[in-house]
Amino acid sequence: MITNDLSAYRRWAETPVSDPVEYSVVVPAYNEAIRILPTVGAIAVHMSSLGEPWELIVADDGSTDETVELLEELDLVNLHVMRAKQNGGKGSAVRRGMLAARGNVLLFADADQSTPIEQFTELLGQIRAGHDVAIGSRAAAGASVANKSFARKIFSKGLNLLVRYGFGVPFADTQCGFKMFTPAAADLLFRRQLVDEFSFDLEVLYLAQKFDLSVAEVPVEWIDAPGSTVDATKVAIEFIRDMAQIKWSDLRGRYKQVNHPKELDERLPLPGLALMKGTA
Amino acid sequence: MDIVTNSTDPTHPVLTLDGRFDAFETDAFRTTIDQLLAAEATDITVDLRDVQFIDSSALAELVRAMKHCREGNGELYLAQLSDPVRVILELTRLDAAFEIVQAV
Repeated sequence: MITNDLSAYRRWAETPVSDPVEYSVVVPAYNEAIRILPTVGAIAVHMSSLGEPWELIVADDGSTDETVELLEELDLVNLHVMRAKQNGGKGSAVRRGMLAARGNVLLFADADQSTPIEQFTELLGQIRAGHDVAIGSRAAAGASVANKSFARKIFSKGLNLLVRYGFGVPFADTQCGFKMFTPAAADLLFRRQLVDEFSFDLEVLYLAQKFDLSVAEVPVEWIDAPGSTVDATKVAIEFIRDMAQIKWSDLRGRYKQVNHPKELDERLPLPGLALMKGTA
Repeated sequence: MDIVTNSTDPTHPVLTLDGRFDAFETDAFRTTIDQLLAAEATDITVDLRDVQFIDSSALAELVRAMKHCREGNGELYLAQLSDPVRVILELTRLDAAFEIVQAV
């Protein structure tokens, strides 16, 4: 049986979207060969069902497995795979993807679907209501969190207390990998972002505060993804180091300037290139 | 994820899954399949209309179940695929490996 959603997906898979692109979904990926195809499938069906022109960007982070090859073999014309020669950190992959995105609304979402793509609409409502940034939150009232270990809950809570009271970023959850931006906000924030690793989210939110952007924290459904590659101790050390680095960068005035100028932006592959490759 | 078993025909039970089918759910699914095959089941139908996401671990578990059914000269049927599950099977090229049916 062909449903409307399936028909919309088939059209998206085969027909290059025309400008203006309404939504861009950016997925950073590092060695995600095992997980990436189900994620692409779930995102593609849901986003196509919304009925607006949209693009999917997978920003590779120097994967050494078959992540890139698997994606390129799909021949989905509106899936853009941005190759990276080397591993630069999740923050660098998200930045490359966000600065290349063409949509009127930009989302980045983790490759493990721990926040299901169906939550897109919840964040979109806040952007439509006038916010510059909408962030998924596992800690806001109304959030649904499944399979998160007790140790990880304590770890998250501890880091959040540090962020709130030691760093002045007043959000219950800064690290959920599901955040939405207007193009202007994305341009302002990601061109200044300096942190390339795990705590880039924190820097982006710190900058949003600094530049008086309006940020909505939106409770989301979140399911811990088995096989998470996060090393809690390493992350905690990096997190604290990065908080100090962000403050130091601010004191030195490094956020007054654009750190990633437009001239250095990567271009997305031309629409239809994947199809042409497939039929050559 | 909820798993409901309908064994009106014990040689061909129907499993109805509801929720997200991922690595957290594979043990329960495997136990159910193994119990059915150890009893009278030869063919098994898995109804996936209420599953919106299936990850690689769950796909591997379905492949395992298919192999075990075929070892007993039976078949594993996937029925009433939701759109995301259908597309995930296509992208992973597993749609060609399974017997996919419209109705249970």
